Amino acid sequence: MTQRRVAVTGAGVVSPLGCTLEDFHRALCDARPGVRRLAPEIVQGSGVQVGALTDWKPAALLAEGEAANLDRATQFALGAAAQALAASGLDIARGPERVGVYWGTGLGGAHTLETAYKQIYAAGQWRTRPLTVVMAMNNAAGSNVAVRHGLRGPFANYATACSSSAMALGEAMRTIQAGRADAIVAGGSEALLTPATLAAWQALRTLAPADAGNAAASCKPFDRRRNGLVLGEGAAAFVLEDYSRAAARGAPILAVLTGYGNSCDAVHISRPDRDGQVRAMREALAESTLAPHAIGYINAHGTATAVGDVVEAEAINAVFGEAAAQVPVSSTKSLHGHLLGAAGALEFAAALLPLLRGWLPPTGFLEDPDPACKLRHVALRAERVNPPSAVMSNSFAFGGSNVVLIAERA
Amino acid sequence: MDTLARIKDLAGKEFSLDAQALDPGAPLDKLGIDSLSFIEFMFKVEEEFGVSVSDEDLKGIRTLGDLERHIAAALTAAGKA
Repeated sequence: MTQRRVAVTGAGVVSPLGCTLEDFHRALCDARPGVRRLAPEIVQGSGVQVGALTDWKPAALLAEGEAANLDRATQFALGAAAQALAASGLDIARGPERVGVYWGTGLGGAHTLETAYKQIYAAGQWRTRPLTVVMAMNNAAGSNVAVRHGLRGPFANYATACSSSAMALGEAMRTIQAGRADAIVAGGSEALLTPATLAAWQALRTLAPADAGNAAASCKPFDRRRNGLVLGEGAAAFVLEDYSRAAARGAPILAVLTGYGNSCDAVHISRPDRDGQVRAMREALAESTLAPHAIGYINAHGTATAVGDVVEAEAINAVFGEAAAQVPVSSTKSLHGHLLGAAGALEFAAALLPLLRGWLPPTGFLEDPDPACKLRHVALRAERVNPPSAVMSNSFAFGGSNVVLIAERA
Repeated sequence: MDTLARIKDLAGKEFSLDAQALDPGAPLDKLGIDSLSFIEFMFKVEEEFGVSVSDEDLKGIRTLGDLERHIAAALTAAGKA
């Protein structure tokens, strides 16, 4: 039996670079950063200086009372999923039991939890909102997507830190390949720019301080001057669909998801490992049956940490060999920040830009490439190209989880 | 504003309903208010009036009218009426 192919028939984005796929892509083409100096009420005593906030207006989608009962991460999820479903034109009513939701998030309802803890510990107010549990739980975002659209097929929620939503896409692809669903809304959301979460991240000493001259330029992946990541928030969602069904109904096919690699370093809880990343990239290439030179763009994990960028560059060189000198690589985190659990999904949306429009999104602010990160960089500005036939997106997480996705032109 | 009007106003905001049109005699489920959202709503009603309704009393509340009677009794008991 030939394996079912998996088409991407819709995409939705809620991000620091805009709240539609088109706005997101346009900002990437213009290398327009979404990183800003954070307001004092968000920073409080955390010491964090910059972040990438999303200009989210819930009123466009949710009634006032409704928004107040949903964590910010869930609101983002609903926004991205609604866009993706609308774009795909999927008729859910024809078989809601065959349409699923696969979601990814790192922390889940961080805002809800922090509000509750603040009340309890800081104000001594133990009377807590009854909805706290169902707003904060890790599966709240994905479950609310299912509830809102009546998606009764398989459901899964992944919480593997920075690979969560990439894993949701990969596992959704597997589920459709196996014939267990005809379509799946897959993606991820994250909203954790809260004072206490920022303080915890600051303690890890991995966050970039504000760039002295330009706060928007604080995240510089692969640059000699890089000094850490910038946290962001948002969501991205896709409708993944059995290719033959999508084609039969005349759906817009944005891309075909053909490769998914998943490995665990099993070496250290936070330090990245070249071999684990190599295995994930090789697995994705093997599944897609593509040779390395067939990949026309890599959206790197590229967080702009001292160690992480070097390890990823080494891993790409190990996998791509001579082709590494030709395959364009960028880390769009320089512009939209690190969305953690939502990073994989948002960056998959970035990786679709070359396929759909023939633009390679750049690594912003990469003026002085680190020789230890020897790659064919797309630096500073987007580059116009003939749309490549295939792209790769890397997501590597704390905990040693590595996920690699490959998409091909429809 | 009397107690019922305040409750209707809160319910209108919480459930995105027309507060004026709310029938105090209608069963809550007919208004589209399920048990989870009602518990969250009760939390806000208690905050608004500064009283609390026991779990036992809560079980007997089927309509906004029932709720008004409990709140009014609680306000009287607390000397706030």
